[in-house]
Parts: sequence; C-alpha cells; structure tokens
Amino acid sequence: MNNQSCIEIGNEWGIVSARQAGRELSKNIGFGSVDQARITTAISELARNIYLYTEIGQIELTSVVKDNDGREGIKVVARDKGPGIENLRDVMVDGFTTSGGLGAGLPGVKRLMDEFDIESMPGEGTTITTVKWLR
Amino acid sequence: MKSVVLQHLKDNKSLYIEEWRKSLEQHEFTKQGSTFSSKDMQQEMKDEFISVVFQSIELSSEENRDAVHRFANRLIYNGWAFSEFIRSLQALRRVVLHNVSANFTKEEFVDVSVEFEDWLDEQITRLAEEFSKIQNEVMTMQKTAMKELSAPLIPVFDKISVMPIVGTIDTKRAAQIMENLLEGIIEHRAQVVLIDITGVPVVDTMVAHHIIKASEAVRLVGAECLLVGIRPEIAQTIVNLGIDLDAFTTKSTLKKGIEAALELTNRTIETSEQMQSNGGLKR
Amino acid sequence: MRIPILKLGRYLLISVQVELDDQTALQFQEDLLNKIHQEGSLGVVIDLTSVDMIDSFIAKVIGDVVEMSNLMGAKVVLTGIQPAVAITLIDMGVSLQEVQTALDLEQGLERLQQELGG
Repeated sequence: MNNQSCIEIGNEWGIVSARQAGRELSKNIGFGSVDQARITTAISELARNIYLYTEIGQIELTSVVKDNDGREGIKVVARDKGPGIENLRDVMVDGFTTSGGLGAGLPGVKRLMDEFDIESMPGEGTTITTVKWLR
Repeated sequence: MKSVVLQHLKDNKSLYIEEWRKSLEQHEFTKQGSTFSSKDMQQEMKDEFISVVFQSIELSSEENRDAVHRFANRLIYNGWAFSEFIRSLQALRRVVLHNVSANFTKEEFVDVSVEFEDWLDEQITRLAEEFSKIQNEVMTMQKTAMKELSAPLIPVFDKISVMPIVGTIDTKRAAQIMENLLEGIIEHRAQVVLIDITGVPVVDTMVAHHIIKASEAVRLVGAECLLVGIRPEIAQTIVNLGIDLDAFTTKSTLKKGIEAALELTNRTIETSEQMQSNGGLKR
Repeated sequence: MRIPILKLGRYLLISVQVELDDQTALQFQEDLLNKIHQEGSLGVVIDLTSVDMIDSFIAKVIGDVVEMSNLMGAKVVLTGIQPAVAITLIDMGVSLQEVQTALDLEQGLERLQQELGG
C-alpha cells in the first residue's frame, strides 16, 4: 500500500488529482463512505485555496497512527509559499470570503476533520495540517 | 537473593491466613448498586482473595498476573465493589507488621518492613491495573452494544418510514443515526420519515442541533422529515431554551405524524363505512 | 469536458456522470442556461447519483445555477444526492436551502409535474 503521496497544485487539475489521491488513500486506510466524502471534500477545499490564492503549493497525504491508542488515520498537509494569511481570525469565521465563494472553506474543513492547525507568516506562506481518525 | 519477608510469610502462611481472615470479619464486602450479597458469598469471595494474594508469593510474575487477571474478571462480572479489596490489603498490612515486629530484631525490622511495603504496593498496583484494564474492556463492549442498538429505520407504508430514537443522543450517536437515516431512506425509497423522540429523555440545544442537521441532510437526499413524539415537558424546554424548530413539521404523537405523512404523499386512512358512503374505493 | 443535457418535452434532464472539476461545472452552468433559453424549458432535473463529492465551490455553482434557472422561469429539482455527500455538505454548513430535491430521477419528474400542474 502506498501510504504517502504529495501532489503539486499548480492548476485546476491539481485539485482533481489531489482529491482522487485522497479518496484512494482514505479507502485503503478503511474509512467508511461518509468519512471518505468528508476527507475528499476537505482536500478539495484546501487544494482550491492553494490554487486561488497562491502560485504554487502542494498537498501531502500520509497515513498515520495515533500514539495513545494505535488508531489509524489520514494526515493532510497543505503547504504553499503564497502571500500568507494576515487575518487568521477572520478566515475561520463562517461566511467570510474574499473569493466570492460560500465562505465555508476553512471553517468547513475544520468541521470535516478531527484535528486542524494553521500556521501562516505574511509574505512567506501558509501551512495547514489536518488529521482525520478512524472511528 | 530470596526476600526475607516473603520467606517469612510463606513459612507462617497458615498463621497469617488465619489472622487476616479474622481481621476481615468486620469488613462488609458489597456489590455495586444494592444487589444483595449473603454472608456465605462474601466469605467465599474473601477466601478466594486471600488465596490469590498468598499464591502470588510462590508464582512467577507472569503466572501471578494471569491469576490476578482472572480474579479481577470475576470481581467485575459479579459486580463486587473494588474499594473493599484495597481495604482488605491494608488490613493485611496491619496484621503482618504487627507480627513482624515481634519476630524480628529492631535492626531487621526496618529492612523487612520496607520489603513488605514494596511487595504489598506491588499487589495493590497489580490489582488496580487489572481491574481498570477489564473495566475499560467492558466499557468498549458496552459502547459497541449501544451502537448496535442505535435507531433503526422502519418502513411502515409505501414511501413512509419511522425512526424511533431511544436514549440520550451524543455527537457520536447522532452521526450514526444520521447515516442510518439517510441510507435507509435510499434503501426504502422513503419520501417522508417520521423521527420519533418519545424515548429521548432530554432535548437540549445540542440534541436539537443534531436533529436540525439530520433533517437538512434528509432534505438534500430528497425526502422530508417530521418530528413526532414531543411530550409536554420537551415542548417546554424547547421553547424555554429558545430553540428554533420552525422549519420542522412537528406532531405530538406518532399517530398524528403518520396521518400527516399520508397527507403529504396524497393518501388518507378511511374506515370501511366511510369508504361505502363515498361510493366504493377511492384512490 | 461537457455534461450532456437531454430534452424531454418541456423539461431538461441532466445526469452528471463525471468527476466535477471547476471548469466543467462552470461550462455546465453556461450550457444549461443557454439550453433553457433556446428551448423555453419549464423544468430541469439534475441527477447527482454518480457524484461522490461536492465541495463549497461546486455547491456554490449548483446553488447559483438553480437561482439563475428560476430567474429564467425554469424550476430545478436536484435528485440522487448521496447520503455521504449530504452529510458532508451539512457538516460544512452548506444546506442549499432554496433548492428543491427528490430521491431519484423518477420522483424528480413527478415533483416537477405536480408543481407545474400536470
């Protein structure tokens, strides 16, 4: 089983390949259909953010194991060298949008996944790390 | 080097067992809840405990762990309260230290008592460890059982299904219920589902939030939700908490809900007299 | 890639069978509106049975296309949204409140017929 992959997001097709890779990996790990849809959707949101706001970035997918109880899960890291996010607090509010979308992107991802962490330096880029654990 | 105190305990095993047994006479071993436990059952339990503890002197650590595990298992499945066993070990401490001080010199006593305390701590820790391990296993099993008991979707008429929810709804269970609900709708081709909350003890904002989410998802897959079984006290809490269920069709009973559901799917229930007076079958 | 739009009397039928990328979704929006204009259609059924993921962007495109079609006088019913997709949308806080739904193509057509009076 290929349990790690890294997809470059340089154009719209990157979004599609990232979510296909995510669906494949989450299926292999053993996620049910609802969680597969959650994970794929979260990856799509993260990949779209990279595509919309930065020139280039990547989505890393890894299968992981939880320290304390050995549960399996999938880790999704979205990394870019874009402008960074200045108003971190604003982007986590439902309905806040700078792109004309539904504004459900980042807060949506947070609700779809179990763990969510965002690091951003204006001018240097953004790294978003999320994990979903098997139930 | 064989421990002095363990050798001493082994050599005087019958004496200690006798004394410990006597000191335990005052102890009331109880079962969790108020399940009755007779004097005989208690004595049996005490004797078994005593023999497990004294066996541990002679068994290897591996064998001992197994024995303690088996004992803890019986303890939990029969519902004995755990704290009493810890207290019994403390009673053993008093018995042993009392005798030891008479049998050893003052110089020896310090070493021997330290050794004994270490051994006793080890026994307590082991018992506690095994006990909590088994309790965790039981808890996991119960959780699985809860999940299996989770709300089924029952087709009652063509296009109409009912989902009775019994018990408290937490986030995990809500997710499970939602999946059952949506997959059942597709399977039975239901157009209307009645969610019956007669068996839900408390409806707070959290529970209401889960129900609202479920009904929105139901609408997305192409069916409609009716909320039934709203008891007076539930209606009161819903309004007092300011929960907005306006988007919902709600009915007090399942019966009224089914009537409404039939209406939504363009059908009614008629008695045979009504049918005759209407001039035969009506579609 | 283009999504085929079928005409059935006064209705249009669309069954989405491909993975929806952004470009395909936007192209579909344009094609559907043109077709409604061209045929003077009164109702549209969009079947999403084969769609296994809708993210916020696709949801926005779908919501928009429904609103735009309504403006042009065509009622839209979405059918066959999968349970996993529905749950994910609700988790994201997207409830597509203005949109009509039905279980499958057949019930979708029935629904249109009811609304448009036979």
